[in-house]
Amino acid sequence: MDQLVNTLLGILTSVSILVLISIGLAVIFGMMKIINFAHGTFLMLGAFFTVTAVRAGLDFWPAAVIATLAMGVVGLIVERLLIRHLYGRLEATMLATFGLALILEQVAVLIWGTSSTGISAPLSNFRVGRFSFSEYEVSLIAIAALLLLLAYLVFTRTRFGIMARATTQNPEMASALGINARGINMGTFAFGAALAGAGGAALAPITAVSPSMGAGYIANAFMTVVVGGPAVVTGTSLSAGLLGSVQRLVSEKTSLVLGALSVLVLAIVILRLMPEGISGRLRRTL
Amino acid sequence: MHDSRSTINRRTRWASALTALTVIALALGLTACGGSSGGGSASDGGSEGGEIVVGSLLDTTGPLNIYGKEMTNATQMAIDDINANGGVLGEKLKLDAFDTQSDDTKYTQYANQLALQDHPAVVMGGITSASREAIRPIFDRNKILYFYNEQYEGGVCDANTFNTGVVPSQQLAALIPWAIENVGPKLYVVAAEYNYGEISADWVKKYAEENGGTVVGTEFVPLESSDFSSVISHLQTTKPDAVVSLLVGGEHIPFYRTFNATGLNSEMKIVSPTFGLGNEQVVLPANESKEITVAYPYIESLENPVNKKFVQEYKKRFGANAYVTDSAVTVWNGWHLWAEAVEKAGSTDREAVIDALQEGEGISFDSPSGKVTMDPGSHHVTQDISIAKTNDKHGFTVISTKEDVPPSYEDEVCDLVKDPSTNQQFTP
Amino acid sequence: MSAALSLGRRVPGEVLVLAAIVLAAILVSSLASEFQANEWTLWVLYGLLALSFTFIWGHGGIFSFGQAAFFGLGGYAYSVAAINLLPHTNETITALLTGALVGAIAAGLVGYFIFYGDVNDVAVAIITLAFSLVLLTVMSGTADPKYHIGTAQLGGYNGMVGVPPITVGLPGGTPMALSQQSTLELFAIVAGAIAVGVHVLLRRPFGRVVAALRVNELRTLLLGFDVRRYKLATFMLGGAIAGLAGAGYAAWGIFISPAVFGLQQAAFVAIWVLLGGRTSLLGAFVGVVLVEELTSKLGGNAGDSTPIVLGAVLIAVVLLLPAGIVPTLQRWGRRLLPGPRERPSPARASERTGPENAQAAAPVLASEAAWGAGGEEVLRADELGKRFGGVRALDRVSVDFPGRGLSCLIGPNGAGKSTFFHLLSGRHRPSTGEVVLDGRRITSWRPDRRARAGLGIKLQVPSLYHELSASENMWLAAYARTRSASRADRRAAEMLDWLGLAERAADPASVLSHGQQQWLEIGMVVATEPKVILLDEPTAGMSPEETQKTARLVTALAEQAAVIVVEHDMDFVRELDAPVMMFHEGSLFAHGSISELREDERILDIYLGRPVGVEG
Repeated sequence: MDQLVNTLLGILTSVSILVLISIGLAVIFGMMKIINFAHGTFLMLGAFFTVTAVRAGLDFWPAAVIATLAMGVVGLIVERLLIRHLYGRLEATMLATFGLALILEQVAVLIWGTSSTGISAPLSNFRVGRFSFSEYEVSLIAIAALLLLLAYLVFTRTRFGIMARATTQNPEMASALGINARGINMGTFAFGAALAGAGGAALAPITAVSPSMGAGYIANAFMTVVVGGPAVVTGTSLSAGLLGSVQRLVSEKTSLVLGALSVLVLAIVILRLMPEGISGRLRRTL
Repeated sequence: MHDSRSTINRRTRWASALTALTVIALALGLTACGGSSGGGSASDGGSEGGEIVVGSLLDTTGPLNIYGKEMTNATQMAIDDINANGGVLGEKLKLDAFDTQSDDTKYTQYANQLALQDHPAVVMGGITSASREAIRPIFDRNKILYFYNEQYEGGVCDANTFNTGVVPSQQLAALIPWAIENVGPKLYVVAAEYNYGEISADWVKKYAEENGGTVVGTEFVPLESSDFSSVISHLQTTKPDAVVSLLVGGEHIPFYRTFNATGLNSEMKIVSPTFGLGNEQVVLPANESKEITVAYPYIESLENPVNKKFVQEYKKRFGANAYVTDSAVTVWNGWHLWAEAVEKAGSTDREAVIDALQEGEGISFDSPSGKVTMDPGSHHVTQDISIAKTNDKHGFTVISTKEDVPPSYEDEVCDLVKDPSTNQQFTP
Repeated sequence: MSAALSLGRRVPGEVLVLAAIVLAAILVSSLASEFQANEWTLWVLYGLLALSFTFIWGHGGIFSFGQAAFFGLGGYAYSVAAINLLPHTNETITALLTGALVGAIAAGLVGYFIFYGDVNDVAVAIITLAFSLVLLTVMSGTADPKYHIGTAQLGGYNGMVGVPPITVGLPGGTPMALSQQSTLELFAIVAGAIAVGVHVLLRRPFGRVVAALRVNELRTLLLGFDVRRYKLATFMLGGAIAGLAGAGYAAWGIFISPAVFGLQQAAFVAIWVLLGGRTSLLGAFVGVVLVEELTSKLGGNAGDSTPIVLGAVLIAVVLLLPAGIVPTLQRWGRRLLPGPRERPSPARASERTGPENAQAAAPVLASEAAWGAGGEEVLRADELGKRFGGVRALDRVSVDFPGRGLSCLIGPNGAGKSTFFHLLSGRHRPSTGEVVLDGRRITSWRPDRRARAGLGIKLQVPSLYHELSASENMWLAAYARTRSASRADRRAAEMLDWLGLAERAADPASVLSHGQQQWLEIGMVVATEPKVILLDEPTAGMSPEETQKTARLVTALAEQAAVIVVEHDMDFVRELDAPVMMFHEGSLFAHGSISELREDERILDIYLGRPVGVEG
């Protein structure tokens, strides 16, 4: 019984972490077809903003919200200054966001140094049988679900979201209908950056917050997003669910090395069988 | 058709001629630029107009800068200190430092620049073992003296290379018996999946068996992995007394956080020869790094006059928040041991300096970590090892110090005085 | 113009460049200091790696993060081979070639996996990235001495040590390690030869087809080129070049470690190429030199600013020189320097173009006497059906078409006409039924194989190579059939003459008028000499006059092959005066002559959107 709870919670935590690191990328890549190499840096900045706000005396939760909003503003600025000039040039966005990542990372080094004070997990722990669990890690599951729900609601229930999806699916038609594509793109990018910031904020209490922390997540984030396919919410949840469960189960039964390899091999196999990603065949747009 | 064809043909030939000319012009340009920049390099032996050129290769930028920054700081401080005390042989040192940008290829490139163009008297540097292995053969081949100043998996035996970093047989020989005696006999090893982790895990097993303990589980973690939930779950089922952490780098810090967050720290204790090297105790909130025991030659809070002065100077230069790591002091030791050897040899000539370092009982130096002696046969240092525990001020409190711990494994397998032609890395 | 003549005119240019490279290599390496020679060797090797990426991506359109992986595998292969072989053969040139071979084999395996699974662009990037990371993880875990190949220890994360530099010698003789200068000379000449070789290859039919499939993969497939084989070959050649560069890299550093499989190395390959210009072979080298020179100089000052400056330069290049550095400089150079220029022909005599003499010229179309099957039945659809999700797009349609002559398909939008065509051409797999061509069941064949078997299709929206000239478009189609560059040259010229497009031969397809684009595509289909020609709305966007010309052209074609036309334009259908099949809601609703159908009330109902009387 306790073993089962342990395994289940373990799987859900691994899945949630994948969701947290990839949801922002999924929005920017899925809706705008921009390969954002600065995504890891966005996660890092979200975490640093949270740490800074906590050090300034705020509680973790309000700090995380502030970090999320702040990353939205950063996203807005990046879109206006850089991304705006590069729409339709896939490879150019790649090069430019890579350059941006280099700059932001080094700026973070200059501001916060190469290592930084982390923050404590805001909650305690509880026991089930032989196993004890971190309440915060369990609450990551809720945070991940909340972010997915937020993305879903924004893209289905708000005027902005519906116009954004229309722009993605048929840009010409959207502009013919008088949708302001520039504004929509700016909003979508900022929303994606804010989600990345939220992911970084959520990770801050469980990871080492350092300028190079993004590098460790970016490959997994890209893999989750592409395996997920075109539908942002459905795809990300399904692929994070699949990759995270397999990673966790293989790690549990064999070794972490095989766990890490299993994710890579699984991603390769899925993309070979379903080149459009998991959600490619489910006629869903979100 | 014919017309457009021949136009295209003429155009292609024109373009070819232009490309050919460009290639030659570029080549000439390169040679000309290179000639002017590469011309006035230093003469052999690293002496240049009353200054001795010395080289340093460290990652000041990129992911490895968690270690590289401190080591770069220590390098500058060591050079300034030596120069402030009159230099070596009456000449000032001139530092030729390179930022290797956490890229092994840059190591090779700059090592070649040093070896083939700048000809320094000595080069110190390299952080990961891979970076050391990338540059060691270049300095061997070009006969440039090389010091590697960082904790590593041990076993390098090369007449041209001197290692001032602590090795597993020193740290674990002290730490494992301490853990068995003070925490309990059941050990669980969590190690980074690479050379250092694998070799050290073998050492843990050996020392555990020698001291009446058992290793109940060993788990290897890929360097890029940061999801430790399965490790935590294994710990909860095996219930060891102590966890031996051989984890390295920023990606592995989540282990300590998860360990604390699940409340495991009330059931078992962590001992580690790597915790603190990347300033983990600074990154983690004090309550998350509670009661982690480490073993290092150098701990910032060591009570001795040399250290007091050293820490004061370091904080003055690099800020009061800077924590002095073992790696920083290892770099400091490297420079000073070399300087002592040059003084003893009376020359910066490589052969003479190696002879001086290999003579008699070896060269000693009073380091912030205590007395450090370069062992003539193994080219590794004998030094004090302190056991210390994390405290609530993001630092360590020294529990006990064992003096003059030799690099026993290296001493056993490697004797460069007897057989100077040995050039390999021994593994247990 | 004969092949020999065109060869005679073409070669001197490339030979000139090659000679210049050799000369420059000798000159530079003899003047360079040891360190410069060492550093430039790295640039040349990185340049080769970048070149391999320019080739597969800039020209082949395959975006892969795998080049660094093949580079790394080449490096490991060299190291293992050199450590084991050097004591016996006294040289490492064999090991160098082993590196290239291993690169090619690895690329072959990965490429087979990818391209024969019809994986799309982004998935290719991620699969190759995952492949690199698998290598990184696996190679990092080989620290234990039990991991060795022959006498070579793989060394885990720390890497392989004791890798020999480039050494020449004969078995039984003395091995001689090349000096830094000679190593530079060797690799500069090798790189020059490879660059010139790739340049020549890109102008050979193989390279032209590869470039074509980057511009329009679907059209290339429908012309009958086995796109997967071309991609695989491109990928393997790229892998071989990267492998060779990696082998040289291991020899250069006398070291190789798993770091080459990391994300950083993979990203830098793309950066060099983007910076230099993604299609420019010279740009590959220029991109490397700029990035490496910049980071080396900055790192030499051990400053904190390296990433910031590099990042700013990347962004500046993206914003200011979007095409990359070399193509931009070339454009400026072309403006400044006098010389022959290529400009679109100003003679926009489009009114005079068009298949004026189609009827008369038609017989010369066939390069072989027996074009077209001419038999009773060439193509049969048997119970053919297709479902998309829950929607039944086509419902068990059975039709057969005679070996010659014209058939028209009509029906309102969504009636299933285009779906029917896609099932015939192989773009979609049917849910039910069979397609039979010439008595052979081709239901499971891929579009290119169907095309080679004699099924040509013109798509509804003209599918051309828009960046390429009209004559290049036509040449590709002719080459698909003739597989001979010179015969394809002749055939393309004939076809353009016949279509009345000879004057526009040098213009990019994208500047042709809509009607001309339609004719060009029809001509391309015809140039593949199919037994069955499928034309999806050939007159869309044409003036009445152009429509009439098209009708004459189609009628002429129908004398030699089975021609099936989907059309909305009823006047055009009437003009063709051929048997008509009417599709409605995925079924074959009615057939007969146009005049018969016109008398059918139900058909008028369907076209006017009125409910159809229940009958039949």
